[in-house]
Amino acid sequence: MKFRDLLRLVINNLNRRKARVALTAIGVVIGTAAVVILVSLAIGLQMNATEQLYGIGDLSQIYVMPSYGGEGSFVGPIGGGGGGGEIASPDILLLTNSAVDDLRGISGVKSVIPREYLMSSMFMQFRKTMGYSGVYGVGTSDLADLGLETQQGTTQLSRATVVIGYMVAQNFSDPNLRPGQEPPPPPELYDQQVQLIISKWDSEGNEIRRNFSVRVAGVLSESGSEADWSVYMPLEQVKAMNEWAMGTRINYNKTGYNEVIVKVENADRTLEVRDQILAMGFQANTMLDFVQGINNFYKILQVVLGGVGAIALLVAAIGIANTMAMSILERTREIGLMKAVGATNRDVLTIFLGEAAGIGFIGGVGGVLTGWLAGQALNVVAVAYLAQQAAEQGGMPPSVAVYTPLWLPVFVLLFSIFIGMVSGLYPALRAATMIPVLALKYE
Amino acid sequence: MTSSLIQIAGLKKHYQMGGTTVRALDGVDLEIPAHTLTVVMGPSGSGKSSLLYLLGGLDRPTAGEITVSGERLDQMDENALALFRRKTMGFIFQSFNLVPSMSALENVAFPMQFAGIATARRNEKSKQLLEQVGLADRSHHTPSELSGGQQQRVAVARALVNDPSLILADEPTGNLDSQSGIAVMQLLSDLHRSGRTVLVVTHDPRMTRFATHKIFLLDGRVVSEAEYQSAALDAMQVSHGG
Repeated sequence: MKFRDLLRLVINNLNRRKARVALTAIGVVIGTAAVVILVSLAIGLQMNATEQLYGIGDLSQIYVMPSYGGEGSFVGPIGGGGGGGEIASPDILLLTNSAVDDLRGISGVKSVIPREYLMSSMFMQFRKTMGYSGVYGVGTSDLADLGLETQQGTTQLSRATVVIGYMVAQNFSDPNLRPGQEPPPPPELYDQQVQLIISKWDSEGNEIRRNFSVRVAGVLSESGSEADWSVYMPLEQVKAMNEWAMGTRINYNKTGYNEVIVKVENADRTLEVRDQILAMGFQANTMLDFVQGINNFYKILQVVLGGVGAIALLVAAIGIANTMAMSILERTREIGLMKAVGATNRDVLTIFLGEAAGIGFIGGVGGVLTGWLAGQALNVVAVAYLAQQAAEQGGMPPSVAVYTPLWLPVFVLLFSIFIGMVSGLYPALRAATMIPVLALKYE
Repeated sequence: MTSSLIQIAGLKKHYQMGGTTVRALDGVDLEIPAHTLTVVMGPSGSGKSSLLYLLGGLDRPTAGEITVSGERLDQMDENALALFRRKTMGFIFQSFNLVPSMSALENVAFPMQFAGIATARRNEKSKQLLEQVGLADRSHHTPSELSGGQQQRVAVARALVNDPSLILADEPTGNLDSQSGIAVMQLLSDLHRSGRTVLVVTHDPRMTRFATHKIFLLDGRVVSEAEYQSAALDAMQVSHGG
């Protein structure tokens, strides 16, 4: 039998019982539309989350910390013959300069930048206002190496200058404000001289302060990360402050850095480099882990929501099976006739599978269109609502709530045809294997 | 002497019905020559329809051999039987068995789809056959728009599309008034005269006048005409005398 003849025959046969085919197809429409909407929603949510996460940090950065042994070095038989395990001699791995050189040697690594935080109590003063921020000393003269950009001034660090995060000025307030008095707007700190005051306490509990006057050489652009709230200085500067605060000399070759940022040439290689660093024995974290965790969550969400839609499709599949069984019962004599005039079992099977697939296809087309349109409508409403929420409560307004990628309707359409064929298989097999004489004599 | 198109030896068809075994055919031996019009006569339940369906490869014998055109039907698998029916046989049924959604032309052309014949050729051939049965002007009517006689003539045309050497007709006049019935029988007689082998199963004695060969069946066995007549007479006396 030629494919064109088969197609025409299937269309004719479906046309013969329009109402029943339409009702059965509506079941498929509901199922496929549900799959399209729900999976689109899950994808939209994921895109939204990824969008919001965009500023979470540079995905090509790995934060490396020294290892102090402990976890993971518990060796020996667990619960064995009495003695139990023993703790291995703690394997302390420090981030010394030679370790930093080792990190630089890993293939795919672009730069390795030590970062220290100020370990003493600190506040900043500008005119009558005071502010608090975390202070970082970084082992580079240019913050651009850490992927940071400025909105004002420079990313270059030098002695006696600082580069501050986007939100730092927001932290400044007037400590002598009288109750009821209108607080002043955040100060404009760019290119201003700011007092950085660190303090420590002597053995008698007296506070000793030290004052550094620094110029704000740059203000960073908003990044959505911790950099927004940080003050950046050269590493040597912060080292000197820490030495003063603790009263000892710091030799990074002995104590190692607290933290080293490894920047990878390409975010694709981040996990590979991270694994190598872990193999060296250091602790290493990357935002990519976090983002991947979130991505995995949304993948599961897609599967779960798709599964809810699939339940509707399952019901539709039973509908197709029922319609086909009815149809075959009514057309038993026609099946007998087809066999009498030379149709093989395979011909009969193909015709009825074709009809079942046709119902799946009609429902699939309807469902994909319905799902897509409903998704678009939902998108308009949801984005408008979420944008209003964002305007009222702060945060980034989402640009998308429901997103239908091209593969989804294509997949759903093919899947609905497949569902049609699977549910039509049993009735079609029954039709194909009927004994011709019994089919012809069927009343 | 004409060669035998059909040879049947020791043919049995038994089936179970409500716990008892019905012997529809109980040891039939027959030879039917080619280019004949054979009428199989028998009352209902005599096994004549069973014989026709077994000859058409639409049913399986319980025992015995069926040879058509030198091929053993009882040894073929279902696929081979379908292909054999497609190229060798044309069927005509008491209830016409036309597809209600198709026009007369489409009904006639239907079997050719399974043979994979091109649309243009199908339409041409179907038109020609409808003309032959006198329904050229009805080719676009659906079965519900045709009389019983016309429907059966469409079915005759359909039986001819694949140029079969054997035409099998099961009570072709059973659902028709006598005039339409005679017309259909005339058509079958014409087919026989044009060189085909026709086998008609009927219980209508008027049809025997078209026959070149007659076969009488009683209770699943072939009997002579004399035996058949006396049995028919007995049956009549029983019904009248009772």
